[in-house]
Amino acid sequence: MIKKILGILKDDGECVYKELPNGMKMRIEDFDLWYGKTQALKSVNMNIKKNKVTAIIGPSGCGKSTLIRSLNRMNDTIPSVRTEGQIWLDGYDIYDDTADCVDIRRKIGMVFQKPNPFPFSIADNIYYGCQVNGMKVDKDEVVKRCLKQAAILDEISDRLGDNALSLSGGQQQRLCIARALAIEPDVLLMDEPCSALDPIATAKIEDLIHELKKDYTVVIVTHNMQQAARVSDYTAYMYLGELIEFGKTKQIFENPKEESTEKYITGRFG
Amino acid sequence: MSIRKLLAIWIFFVSIVVSIIGFHSLAVQSDIGYWIMAGSLILISLSCHASGIYSYLTKKDGKNLMMVLYGSVILTIASMSFYIPDVLDLRPWEIYARIPDQFFFALIMLLVGIFTSYLSFRPYHNYSKEGAQSGALYVLHVTILLTLLPLFIIIFNIIFRGAGGITYEFLTEDIVSMGEQGGVYPAILGTLAMIALTAIIVLPLGVGTAIYLAEYARKGLAVRLIRTAVNILQGTPSIVHGLFGYAFFVLIVFNGQKCLLAGALTLAILTLPIVTRSAEEALNAVPGDLRDASLALGATKWQTIRKVVVPPSLPGILTGTVLGLGRAAGETAPIMFTAVYFSGAGTPNSLLRPIQALPYHLLSLYRLVGYRDVENQAWATALLLLIIVLGINISAIIVREKYRQRF
Ligand SMILES: Nc1ncnc2c1ncn2[C@@H]1O[C@H](COP(=O)(O)OP(=O)(O)OP(=O)(O)O)[C@@H](O)[C@H]1O
Ligand SMILES: [Mg+2]
Repeated sequence: MIKKILGILKDDGECVYKELPNGMKMRIEDFDLWYGKTQALKSVNMNIKKNKVTAIIGPSGCGKSTLIRSLNRMNDTIPSVRTEGQIWLDGYDIYDDTADCVDIRRKIGMVFQKPNPFPFSIADNIYYGCQVNGMKVDKDEVVKRCLKQAAILDEISDRLGDNALSLSGGQQQRLCIARALAIEPDVLLMDEPCSALDPIATAKIEDLIHELKKDYTVVIVTHNMQQAARVSDYTAYMYLGELIEFGKTKQIFENPKEESTEKYITGRFG
Repeated sequence: MSIRKLLAIWIFFVSIVVSIIGFHSLAVQSDIGYWIMAGSLILISLSCHASGIYSYLTKKDGKNLMMVLYGSVILTIASMSFYIPDVLDLRPWEIYARIPDQFFFALIMLLVGIFTSYLSFRPYHNYSKEGAQSGALYVLHVTILLTLLPLFIIIFNIIFRGAGGITYEFLTEDIVSMGEQGGVYPAILGTLAMIALTAIIVLPLGVGTAIYLAEYARKGLAVRLIRTAVNILQGTPSIVHGLFGYAFFVLIVFNGQKCLLAGALTLAILTLPIVTRSAEEALNAVPGDLRDASLALGATKWQTIRKVVVPPSLPGILTGTVLGLGRAAGETAPIMFTAVYFSGAGTPNSLLRPIQALPYHLLSLYRLVGYRDVENQAWATALLLLIIVLGINISAIIVREKYRQRF
């Protein structure tokens, strides 16, 4: 409470700044999260490198979605959620009282586990982010570019005025990816973006992730080991709300330090 | 088709006729004598016996005797009917609850008729499970019919009696000689103006409250209090709204002057809970995923509400509002102390002047029946009011069906 009052009194310029080591985009520090009384994240520490792909793997219910949603403060929308610890973005704590959620989410885009297009036209879906953020852009150009990046333009180029809900599940998911790209975030969070896609679309998305690495920092949750191995530079393995192991993808897959990690990766989990 | 099925169909047919006779006699209070009732029960009983015995003869199964047993019960009731008044000893009760024989008989015929038609599905399906199944379905259909019947009876009654009174003169002239002549032109305009004004007042209030409840308020004490208040408001009798409107709006705000605005404000309070409720439901029907999607794109909460949540729930909000207004259009109690005169107000021309309105016109004419020749006018007014209210409701349905959003 006192912290909150102090937070209000603080000037914008006065919020805590902490230089992150070179090449680091985000840093999760002693982060705990509770849904009501149950703790879903337990003292997570993790670094997210700039222009790299970080994969989060782990069995169902281990807190992958919870962690990735913490990175752009989407968990704030759930009333029972309480957090402790810090998450740094470019040296600023996004859980600081002076932090502005809207600003954070503008910089950290997100693709959800379930496709959730707006019931607008396809073009309006893409343009929505630019509109609410007051970005002065050419609508046609943005729509075409983002759809192309998300590997869906060819399929639907003649239907841009149609309601987005008329698309198939996989197309909807790629539309959501395109929509997230439209606001040109620094970091892109993807929660199992390929779970509803066929192998061809999945391959396209994986190519896209490779492309995106040049300009963006990507964090991806996946259940697919091959995918994690193919697309990511770093891999985090979670189990029961704890970060068990974190390291270079090559090391995690070829030479895991923890027994639990090895069992999960080789499919002998249980 | 086998004889068993034919007998079952015959029983169904007879019992339907019996129940219709019973219903008709209940509805229009026509006499049912001992002989009609006893006769129809005996007919049912004999048919049941025939069906039961026939199935037993073709297939010796104890279940088949069910209809025989039932037929005997009915026969007993029929034979008792001559003694019913004495057996039940209704006489001493007569002063408290007048149950004339005919009422009692009609009720028995209705119930026995429905039950027998339900039973007839058993022999038709040869006492299989399917018989029980289609019998249950049949009973559901009967319930629906019994629910809708009063509605149709009312509507046809009003159309039948009111249509003659709706003339050009009735629609275009003001009231003359206590409603015996002339028409209801100012009252039509008054009702429409009142509804429009109510809508203008209630929409922002109701939608605002709903948005607060659905989007902003955490599920705490405050929300529970607001919701309870809304519920109490909804449960309050409309006459109480009327008296409040008089005591507060008319006496305090408008210096004792009944007026259009006071009436509309009172009706707005009356419809507020309906609008708030339906708007909240419509907002809650928008999936949380969409809110998340919008917030994740850097939209503020208010942008999210304005651009993502409200547009798809507009049809629902409008439907609820229009239904609420439909109710308000027909209310008399809230406006009689606050806004309306029976005559002399003329067409509405100021928010601060009284008006004439159809529901109050109808009430006033009803009070005059017996003293003045206004019955036809009253029925015509009722029909007009019905048309306006039904029209409002139907337009709500059309809006909803046309713009309904599916997720
Ligand atoms: N809104 C919520 N309220 C309460 N508990 C929740 C909520 N969301 C998730 N949890 C709990 O938190 C834990 C972690 O859930 P989370 O969704 O992060 O798992 P996950 O690793 O993404 O699983 P999956 O691979 O199945 O998507 C689970 O035990 C879940 O039951
Ligand atoms: Mg998940």
